[in-house]
Amino acid sequence: MTNPPAVTLDHVSKWYGQVIGINDVSIAIDGGVTGILGMNGAGKSTLFKLLMGRIRPSKGSVRLFGTNPWDSTAPYRRIGYVSESERMYDWMTSIDFVSTLARLHGMTRAEAEFRAEHALSFVDLGDVLNKEIGKYSKGMRQRVKIAAALVHDPDLLILDEPLHGCDPLARTSIMNVIREMGSRGKTVLLSSHILEEIERITEQIVILHAGRLVALGNLHAIRAMLDKHPHRILIHCEDARALASSFIDKQPVYGVRFLDNERLEIMTKDLSEAHSILPALILESGVPIHSIENPDDNLESLLGYLVGDSR
Amino acid sequence: MIESDGTASLGEARIEAAYGSGDGDDTSSATVARPMEGKIFEQIYRPWNGPLGPRWVRNYAIYRHHVYGIVSGSGHRRYHPFVRLLLLVVILGSMTPILMLLLSTLVSDDATGFLNRMWGVNRYNLWGNVLGYFPRNLCMWPLLTALVVGGLISDDRRNGTSAIYFSRPVSRLDYAAMKWLSAASVLAIVILLTYMMYYSAAVVFKGEGWSYIADTLPIFIGGLLAGIFLVFTYTSIGIALSSISTSRFTASISFLGYILGSKLIAWLIEIQFNTTYVYMVSPYDCLAHVGQWLVGLPSNYDHPLALSVISLVAMNAASLAIFASRVASLEVTRE
Repeated sequence: MTNPPAVTLDHVSKWYGQVIGINDVSIAIDGGVTGILGMNGAGKSTLFKLLMGRIRPSKGSVRLFGTNPWDSTAPYRRIGYVSESERMYDWMTSIDFVSTLARLHGMTRAEAEFRAEHALSFVDLGDVLNKEIGKYSKGMRQRVKIAAALVHDPDLLILDEPLHGCDPLARTSIMNVIREMGSRGKTVLLSSHILEEIERITEQIVILHAGRLVALGNLHAIRAMLDKHPHRILIHCEDARALASSFIDKQPVYGVRFLDNERLEIMTKDLSEAHSILPALILESGVPIHSIENPDDNLESLLGYLVGDSR
Repeated sequence: MIESDGTASLGEARIEAAYGSGDGDDTSSATVARPMEGKIFEQIYRPWNGPLGPRWVRNYAIYRHHVYGIVSGSGHRRYHPFVRLLLLVVILGSMTPILMLLLSTLVSDDATGFLNRMWGVNRYNLWGNVLGYFPRNLCMWPLLTALVVGGLISDDRRNGTSAIYFSRPVSRLDYAAMKWLSAASVLAIVILLTYMMYYSAAVVFKGEGWSYIADTLPIFIGGLLAGIFLVFTYTSIGIALSSISTSRFTASISFLGYILGSKLIAWLIEIQFNTTYVYMVSPYDCLAHVGQWLVGLPSNYDHPLALSVISLVAMNAASLAIFASRVASLEVTRE
């Protein structure tokens, strides 16, 4: 008999009175890192609450390793969960806190202390593990939560906005942890509303919008699909008009717009092709460039293309 | 202009704009620190394949977290030093009869002597050790319960820390049962253990034999049962009030208000209308009524014992129902 997937949602809907949290979502996830992308109110938190057995689906079924999390706490032996809002015991040192939680998984005191020390070192808190959590920065607190989620070596890691409010060093550390867990064959689910964040960690994404599943699969494949849609490239240069003349007759470009004398917006239907000819044309024009941006390269634009005007 | 020569530190940088003494025509310059080379930190993950303990091991972890916190702040639930001090005072206070027993033994007070009547083992003293109103049920036990139970659930409700348990293989039943049990244990240690110590001390100090034990054991067990009912009832009411509050102060004050206030109202009605029926709303009086029957004392109440028993059962059932309902809804709508 084959092992059931780590996460299975079968036609799951959840509504709160008149408000729809999740609308007919079906996914199965097993192994690797999967990013759950969506704007605020897209249904990410509802999805995680369903997975963590906090709420019951109005319709459909949720399974973690083949077990309904609403009926049984058994799957949580194999799950590490990091909630965005979950509080900690601020008066405890991180080693005490993580080992206390390890004991809630059934470890002995010695095992719990050994694993807590290792998990804290893994998230780069090994040198401050005897400091009270209340004295930690936001990024350090987030890493304590991740250490607490990893302490029992779970097969499934669920991270709700793990990078929220973290400084660059903490973000790098957390991203390394997530990638490492994914490379070890663990299933990692992480939510975010920032496309770039997810892009740095994984290629496998699930995009939710207004409770509906709007895209699922490889981020590059979704991007390639979107590249064929109209895109803008914003160039900040010293002479926008001189630069525009180099682009106007080139095939992937179908329009240019001057925002002011120093900002040029290029419209294209093939973003990859446009970017491939861009360096040569800029060099040829001799116009000094300050910056090149893709204003449509964010989650909001991605959603705009995926759901069209229905937003 | 920014230049980086890779040798100077940031401390040597000149910041003319802010602190310069020149006329502003000089070329501004700054020096940036050389970037560090190598890894920022090393992250090595070691898998763990050890077995995880069964349900009772997890439940014991919850239990010990709450109970051990009274004696050790490190790694356990935090109890305020004032609560710990008060617990010590209550324990010492509830052990004073043992000291008086020792005194009566030392001064060779005979069985009918004043000290022995006041502190020796008899029905009134065994009942009084658990259910005496002053100081035990006016000051010690309600205050002890309020301080121990007050923040047990309300702290989790206010801080959202119950999610710590529900994200792990801990069911709501386990969570509720262990919280209840840890509070009841603390009360039992103070109330029942000192009661048992008092009886044991009487036997040891007076050098009593088996016949004495055979005579007094039924009364002792009656008092012990009354104590168990008291611990059960106070814990249930206290934890129910804690579960409907987000402030330990409110929960504690509500508990004290209910225990002492219901007694006061019933007493005022008794002296005004000469009826004891209203004592049915007072948890203490219901326990005292049942306790008097258990140790074989004449009742102070006019109403039937059955009404006190029914009232006691109803109070406990209602408290546990409220507690269960509040725990069932914990963290369901948070986040």
